[in-house]
Amino acid sequence: MKQHPLCTDTEQASHVMDMAIPAEMKREWATLQTRRHFLGRSGKVLGWAAMASLLGGRALKGDTHGPAYGQQGAPGADQLKLPQFAPKAKRAIYLFMSGGPSQVDLWDYKPGLAALYDKDIPDSVRGAQQLTGMTAGQARFPIAPSHWAFKRYGQTGTFVSDLLPYTGRIADDLAIIKSTNTEAINHEPAIMLMNTGNMNAGKPCLGSWLAYGLGSMNDNLPTFMVLQTKLNTHENNQPVSSRLWSSGFLSSEYAGVGLRSAGDPVLYLTDPDGVDREVRRNMLDAVNEINRQTYRELGDPETNARISQYEMAYRMQTSVPELADLSKEPKSTWDLYGPDAKEPGTFAYNCLMARRLAERGVRFTQIYKRGWDMHDNVTVTLPIICGEVDRACYALVTDLKQRGLLDDTLVVWAGEFGRTVYSQGGLTPDNYGRDHHPRCYTTWMTGGGVRTGITYGETDEYSYNVVKDPVTVRDFNATLLHCLGIDHNKLSYNFQGLDQKLTGPTPASVVQGLLA
Amino acid sequence: MKTGETLAVLADNWLPKSKATRVTWTAALAFSLLLIVLPWIVRLDGKPHADWQQFLGRFHPLAVHLPIALLLLVPLLEIVGVLRPALREAAGFVLGLAFVSCLGSLVLGFLLAYGGGSVGTTVSRHMAGGITLTIATMLCLLARPWWERNAVAYVYPALLACTLLALVWTAHQGGTLSHGSNYLTQYMPVGLKRWTGLEEAPAAGSFYAKHINPIFDSNCVACHGVGKVKGGLRLDSYDLVMKGGQDGVVIVAGQPEKSMLLTRITLPPGHKQFMPAEGKPPLSAEQIAWIKAWIEQGASPTATSMTGIDLHEQQAEPPLQPVGDYSALMPEIGQMDQAQGPKLKQLSSKPEDGLVLFTVDSAATFGDAQLKQFQKFAPYIVDAELGRTAVTNASFDTLKQFTHLRALHLEGTQITGDGLAKLPPLSQLTYINLSGTQVTAASVAPLSAMKNLRHIYLYNTPAQPPPPLPPDTPSAPAQPAAKSAAP
Repeated sequence: MKQHPLCTDTEQASHVMDMAIPAEMKREWATLQTRRHFLGRSGKVLGWAAMASLLGGRALKGDTHGPAYGQQGAPGADQLKLPQFAPKAKRAIYLFMSGGPSQVDLWDYKPGLAALYDKDIPDSVRGAQQLTGMTAGQARFPIAPSHWAFKRYGQTGTFVSDLLPYTGRIADDLAIIKSTNTEAINHEPAIMLMNTGNMNAGKPCLGSWLAYGLGSMNDNLPTFMVLQTKLNTHENNQPVSSRLWSSGFLSSEYAGVGLRSAGDPVLYLTDPDGVDREVRRNMLDAVNEINRQTYRELGDPETNARISQYEMAYRMQTSVPELADLSKEPKSTWDLYGPDAKEPGTFAYNCLMARRLAERGVRFTQIYKRGWDMHDNVTVTLPIICGEVDRACYALVTDLKQRGLLDDTLVVWAGEFGRTVYSQGGLTPDNYGRDHHPRCYTTWMTGGGVRTGITYGETDEYSYNVVKDPVTVRDFNATLLHCLGIDHNKLSYNFQGLDQKLTGPTPASVVQGLLA
Repeated sequence: MKTGETLAVLADNWLPKSKATRVTWTAALAFSLLLIVLPWIVRLDGKPHADWQQFLGRFHPLAVHLPIALLLLVPLLEIVGVLRPALREAAGFVLGLAFVSCLGSLVLGFLLAYGGGSVGTTVSRHMAGGITLTIATMLCLLARPWWERNAVAYVYPALLACTLLALVWTAHQGGTLSHGSNYLTQYMPVGLKRWTGLEEAPAAGSFYAKHINPIFDSNCVACHGVGKVKGGLRLDSYDLVMKGGQDGVVIVAGQPEKSMLLTRITLPPGHKQFMPAEGKPPLSAEQIAWIKAWIEQGASPTATSMTGIDLHEQQAEPPLQPVGDYSALMPEIGQMDQAQGPKLKQLSSKPEDGLVLFTVDSAATFGDAQLKQFQKFAPYIVDAELGRTAVTNASFDTLKQFTHLRALHLEGTQITGDGLAKLPPLSQLTYINLSGTQVTAASVAPLSAMKNLRHIYLYNTPAQPPPPLPPDTPSAPAQPAAKSAAP
């Protein structure tokens, strides 16, 4: 049976006599080990053994997914009967803005705040909220109105900050959600919650669930790819690591495969000198045979995952160079994405790559952009990061749209939380800082299945609390799954005695107002 | 009691017996006359007047509920008073109170209409109703003592009934003034509407009739309609919309930036001139977009569609047509799934939703011959992903047999468009992607005959040259930055 790395069942349990407890308790425990206890426990063991054989071996192992072992790959779409209904979107691109973009400065237009500059935010608005350690000690919470003006864009007249002049042009194509809210106030739990539906590490992320549930559209490329954006030293970069695209308790085949931002997109993918394709093939056949022997001996499904990953890597030897070769992109591409797109590892390059992955049938692409965590110096840092992201987002959506890909591709732009309307640290007319704010933040989505040209949800005049149509992380994820033809209650995997789901045990609902 | 006797008693009562009664009736008569001629003394001229009048007038919608409640209480007290005489005694007091509050509301109503500059037939009707109601209440008050003494049995109940009818009618006019003429039926359940015969015939086909007029109807005509004509502007018919109000025209065809109507509805909410005024909910972004596009494209009363406006009702895709039973072919589909190369996958867990043909694994070697091998699956395939494959124009001979096809991906292929004319029999097709092919405007022309085909992509083809380069700075938005009083 597959053992999760975090599971400690296999460790030798320490004996009571070795524990650091009072000797009196040890004596008491020893006297309880009587013949009566021994016989009583033996009886229970016999009962369990009988029950296990009645239920059949599979039930004992907690495996409900049919005879998948020994076949290539683990249980997938066929056993799960997914998608449950005809999907609007076949694939998704998730632009993850790690660090928490400031909704007040980018999307959530609050002209009334200008008059409240340096006034304290009313206690009634903050309520009994627990703040982070970074601002909890502040004597006062002065309101910092956005440094930037907002303009109306498009036929919908949507207000978008001057920081996002390009994204503003696609405002009519977006469903802007101003009422997203989360339960976590610090990066690590919040980012895990957004990506995996749970604040604790060890659960599969959205991409893994999709790979598991929907399967691949292109056997030559991974079903779930991750593109990280190069760091910018001006920015406060919170770490992003592979636990965010981990497959958790699902087979490791469903984990995200990262493309490197510099040099070879995938390490050791090119054959070394003197090794040709045939030699490589022979070597892999031999390795696979050894792996199959191991599987027969131990029965660990992770061995099968390893075999299929070797095969995937072999096929990627031809598919990835073709993917990464941008020389055939016409001039119009570079005019659209801008000069940054030529430099591997930039956000613009990754957006272009995401379009190419979508064209090649990759089910889920997640791009991570770090640096949104602006506790101070917002007026200097925010324009830098917006400059990196703004045009690329516009270019990606426009490009997908003109190529006819937006009809069946879901595009999502989201961070893990928002930022406070009050200033962290000193507030001056020229600068301010903003702390983490979980109660409301702005996200957007577009593409297959999404009702575009709308703004969903409202916040109060301080951009502090949601006053209309709140969207929780659970609801957000349930809605994404719905666009891909999945009922979030039915995409589950039995682990540790529970039918585990991306949306967790708390009831979640698909946000109907966001659906086309 | 016979009619003759009634009249005799009435006459007996009618002729004043004492000086006090005579004075009371004379005063009541004079007061009624004054109320009746009041609309001619204080003429509503449609112009706003003193602020204090408007300030007090705004309390009218609050104050009117007092006489409404009191008047409704009177018959109740009279009826229950049969059992408990104390309640009947109270009825007289309540009636008196109702009269006083009626009078107060009437005064406030006059201040609201005169001070706020409201005119129109509904305003006039509401005013006439208010006056009638006040007079009727006063007559009730005077007639009630006869009834209490059992002198005249029917006059007071009849008067009270008339008063209540006047109350209902006046209140309805008031509701119409504040919420629009369709306020009762707007959210009526469809079943009830059908039953009452109120279900409206579908609006005429023009964009104005279907989309613009309803926006004005539910958001604007309460103040800019036949009932109330604020600023001399009426928005309840196309001609009146184009005529404008006392500040000139509000719609300049083709020039949204010069159209005052659009300017006023797109101001930041809270601005003094923002419309809809008086804290009514602003128009939705979608509604503003429709109005803007309609003005931009000529503000025509007859045009049926606006370019650039995707109406959701039009976006609704036709429902999936179930494909036939292909269970006999499942073993073959399963084999393909295990092997490398093209694959057929079910669109969803429901087999009748059909199959999707994926070829991206083997795009370079997938040509017309390979496509031909899928002929036996033809009626079950709803989505053919042939992008960047080696198929050519010859593929249309096979594709035309894909009778349930909804989406056809041919982007980046060698297609030149000859043969697209074979596609129109595919009645289910809603999406075709020909981006990056060599199709021309002439070769794609046959597609226009396909009524369900609403997504045609021709990016980077001779039929549609690449779009002009995006300017380096964003195009000027409709409204200047509305940021005001920045710190």
